[in-house]
Amino acid sequence: MLRTLGGSQFRESPAFSGSGFGRGIFFPEPRELMTNLDDYRIREQPYYKAVGTEIALFEAAHQARMPMMLKGPTGCGKTRFIEFMAWRLKKPLVTVACHEDMTASDLVGRFLLDANGTVWHDGPLTNAVRYGAICYLDEIVEARQDTTVVIHPLTDDRRILPLEKKNELVRAHPDFHLVISYNPGYQSVLKDLKESTKQRFGAIDFHYPAADVETEIVAHEAGIPTSAARTLVEIGIRSRNLRGHGLDEGASTRMLIHAGRLVAKDVSLSAACDAALVLPITDDPDMREALKDAIAACI
Amino acid sequence: MTNQTPFADLVESGLVGDPRNGSIWRALRQVFNAHQLADWRADLARLQASGLGPAGLEAYIRATGTLAEKRGPLAALALAPCILDVERHAGRAAAAALSEATAPALRHLGNERDFRDWLDAVAELAAQGPESVAPVLARSDGLLAELGAHGFRAWVLGGLRAGGGDPERRLALFSLSDPRAFDLFEQATGDIGFTDAERALKAYLIALFRQKPFIRAVAGTPGDTLQRRASFERQFVQVPARMRGVATSSVRKVYRAMLAHIGAHLVHSGPRFQVRGLKPMQVALVSLIEDARVEQLAMRELPGLFRLWAPFHTARADGGVTAPSLFARLSRALIDPNYRDDDLWVTKGRQMFFADREAWVDPGISRQIGNLLGNDLGQMRIQFNPRTYRVEPLYRDDNSGLWDTDDAPPQISDEQDVIVETVRIERTQDLDDHDLESSIPDDDVGQATARESRADDGVPVGKYAEYDYLLGRERSEWTTVVEYQPQPVDTTLLDRQVQSYGDVLNRLENLVGAARVSRPARLRARTEGDRLDLDATIEAAIDRRAGLAPSPRVYETTERRNRDLSVLVLLDISESTKDFVKGSSTTILTFERIATALLSQALSDLGDAFAVAAFCSNGRDDVRFYPVKGFNQPYDRDARARLAGLRGGLSTRIGGALRHAGVVVGAQRTHRRLVLVVTDGEPSDIDVADRRYFVEDARKAVQSLAHSAIDVFGIGPDGAGTGYLGRIFGRRNFVVIDQIARLPNKLPLLYMRLTS
Ligand SMILES: Nc1ncnc2c1ncn2[C@@H]1O[C@H](COP(=O)(O)OP(=O)(O)OP(=O)(O)O)[C@@H](O)[C@H]1O
Ligand SMILES: [Mg+2]
Repeated sequence: MLRTLGGSQFRESPAFSGSGFGRGIFFPEPRELMTNLDDYRIREQPYYKAVGTEIALFEAAHQARMPMMLKGPTGCGKTRFIEFMAWRLKKPLVTVACHEDMTASDLVGRFLLDANGTVWHDGPLTNAVRYGAICYLDEIVEARQDTTVVIHPLTDDRRILPLEKKNELVRAHPDFHLVISYNPGYQSVLKDLKESTKQRFGAIDFHYPAADVETEIVAHEAGIPTSAARTLVEIGIRSRNLRGHGLDEGASTRMLIHAGRLVAKDVSLSAACDAALVLPITDDPDMREALKDAIAACI
Repeated sequence: MTNQTPFADLVESGLVGDPRNGSIWRALRQVFNAHQLADWRADLARLQASGLGPAGLEAYIRATGTLAEKRGPLAALALAPCILDVERHAGRAAAAALSEATAPALRHLGNERDFRDWLDAVAELAAQGPESVAPVLARSDGLLAELGAHGFRAWVLGGLRAGGGDPERRLALFSLSDPRAFDLFEQATGDIGFTDAERALKAYLIALFRQKPFIRAVAGTPGDTLQRRASFERQFVQVPARMRGVATSSVRKVYRAMLAHIGAHLVHSGPRFQVRGLKPMQVALVSLIEDARVEQLAMRELPGLFRLWAPFHTARADGGVTAPSLFARLSRALIDPNYRDDDLWVTKGRQMFFADREAWVDPGISRQIGNLLGNDLGQMRIQFNPRTYRVEPLYRDDNSGLWDTDDAPPQISDEQDVIVETVRIERTQDLDDHDLESSIPDDDVGQATARESRADDGVPVGKYAEYDYLLGRERSEWTTVVEYQPQPVDTTLLDRQVQSYGDVLNRLENLVGAARVSRPARLRARTEGDRLDLDATIEAAIDRRAGLAPSPRVYETTERRNRDLSVLVLLDISESTKDFVKGSSTTILTFERIATALLSQALSDLGDAFAVAAFCSNGRDDVRFYPVKGFNQPYDRDARARLAGLRGGLSTRIGGALRHAGVVVGAQRTHRRLVLVVTDGEPSDIDVADRRYFVEDARKAVQSLAHSAIDVFGIGPDGAGTGYLGRIFGRRNFVVIDQIARLPNKLPLLYMRLTS
């Protein structure tokens, strides 16, 4: 195809140095939309309760700008963690929820038309690369594989992002840090990361937190007394025992918080668990029965 | 009114003696009015005229005496017509047996209606299975104890249906010498048994305690009137298959309480106690304290168990000072803080137990407290009879698992106490056709021989390497895959079986619909199409303005997006698939067939390219491969006929079959290629004893397929926890099904999820 250009033909844009919003001169014309990453800064400290050594580990990885993969079951705090880390490291955070119809342009950017002609519009990834943000690609497996490969040159020593359409090679801002989330429990042979993608990342494995920690989280997030939170956590543990024995997943921290919020609104514990936990988690009548009975035993 | 009995004439004529008839007479006089008395006398005359004979008449008189007294005059008068019926069809002996059976039967027939139901059932049996009346009546007590009046009737009707026109078969069924009688039995009780709730209960146990013991439901012997207790022995648990005398609505609760209690033992009971020098009473008491101890520990984490267990403790403080009563009261005192009991011994036990609260984690305290309390009872000269003692309440196990069995006191489990294992049909080769299997032409045995003779009809289709993990390398051209044609059979039965999974069909239909709808129907950026793709057009316009060459791909069309996927379903049809699935009369292979049929239906609705094949093996030179449906064959009646015609046999050399499957699916030119293996157990074959060999070879085969970009996914039972599925297919690429019977529900949905 005519449009395919060799790497040498790319013109480079100057790396933007210094933190803060972006203001620079870019090639080619027309002018870029200016992006102020200030909107992506997290101003208030997100509530995050450490489960292990993940904070120190991530800080080290960030210092080395090592691309990171946050592994773990759904609702165990990955998203909250990255928000917290962005706040702590005082870096803007650009989050992209990946989905199966997402194309490379959705990440990288595209030309749009305006009254004067064509305007290039950076995608969220390009923004993060240019101006130095943590870019968090949530549930990356959901994206099509041809989309996923655009991150490859960003995740090795080159740290570059070729904008093929625009004939530009963006060198990553020193602050740019790529983080993805990946839920290994998700069984689909059609959806898995390529080996070549996986191997570019360091990983932090998230699990549901230990009972005491999880109790504190549930109590805090749902606004309920510790005792009730504790019971919910016990229930969560029982439901997780059923993972692989009739359930694909046990109740996540998120689900327990949901149940807790209902409790905070004066719904009884067992009704709250029914609504927030048993019914969403399975349609199998035997499993529902077992779960309900197990919940009754915890209360 | 005369003082003479109404049957004085019979006595005088010497036809009947005068057995306790003074009292019978008084009973009749009290209950019957004059009218009814006359009726009764007339019945008696009729029975005499029919030739019932002296013994029969006497039994009748006695039976009606009891009946009149216990169930009223109308019940008593209902007996004679039935006797006449029975006599007409089944003869005099059977008729006499009816009267004899009345008194024992009454114990289980709570009201007049029950009694009449029972009579009706007997009359029905006499009419349609006269030979079986006597054996059934002889077992009335036990049968009714187990079944109740309603269940008894259901059982009789079921037996008549199953026995058909064959008196011998009926007799075998009704005299319980045919194992199928127990199946009928289970069906007839109509209430829930363990198997009905098994899946949920097992999940419950896993959820609460992460315990997954082997649980076996043990059927009682009809006639055994004692309520049985559960029992455990390390990881082996036995529970009564039915809870006799428990209201249907509470059965699940009893099982739940039972398993929760055993779970508490499994988690909190330590190594088994030594019986050394303990008296039976002490053994019972130590067990009782131990029960309370493990329950208290379990309730620390799971306080809700209190609400489950406590209601079973119904002992009362005014219960008397016998050992069973005191034991039951102590049990209650140790779990129920609201229970008041001022008995000194109970109070002492309670105080000792709760004073040791901090030491509960130590099983030693059970021994200590139990011994002390035992000594006290000895000094109080309270008798303890180990023969009649049973652990209370109902949900607790017999505690035999707590004691070292080698020298366990035989006293504690009196013979009736030991759970008698009766025939359970799990793997029965000689059990011939019945239920679903019956209508399949050619039973498995006949088929096996037929196949043997056709053995040379197979066509060798490939030689494949096999991996020897001991050598750490493959032997090339080691196995020969031979293709055989499955014999098509009539599909009526299979179609019917498939239809019986209406809910799965419905769900699949929805999923298939959704899968189609959710696939983007628009194909964008095509070089041709029926309309312009707006985005692509704009892009092209922009490119032109930017001085780039625009792409000609500016059209879009609506098309069902090709899922671009080929799947080969590979079925294990080795010998073990002929086994009956526990608790049913359906074989594993039947479930595999149904599951495959359901999946195939969905696949052809989806339009995914798929093939179906089966395999088994007979040594390395004869790995048999049965193509059921090829990728370019339609899933039609012929394909179903081949599927229905699959017969189980031989071994499971899965590696060779997988390699061949890889070749078959590898020829497909789709983006994704998938082999979906349905197994029923660990691989094996006749020429190598080492099971691990086949597992490792299969693992190798899966890996080599992966290299050719073919995904392999396995589904099967967990092989008693050997983890072979994970070993073969890799950590993420298998699904364990807890019950083969659920394969038809699982397999198609699994596929839908895999490819969603
Ligand atoms: N360690 C934690 N500290 C504070 N809150 C937590 C923690 N773990 C979980 N939570 C709570 O659980 C909720 C769910 O977590 P989060 O959204 O981060 O899950 P996730 O792992 O990103 O899930 P998914 O994979 O589905 O996106 C959060 O909103 C937060 O309230
Ligand atoms: Mg016990």
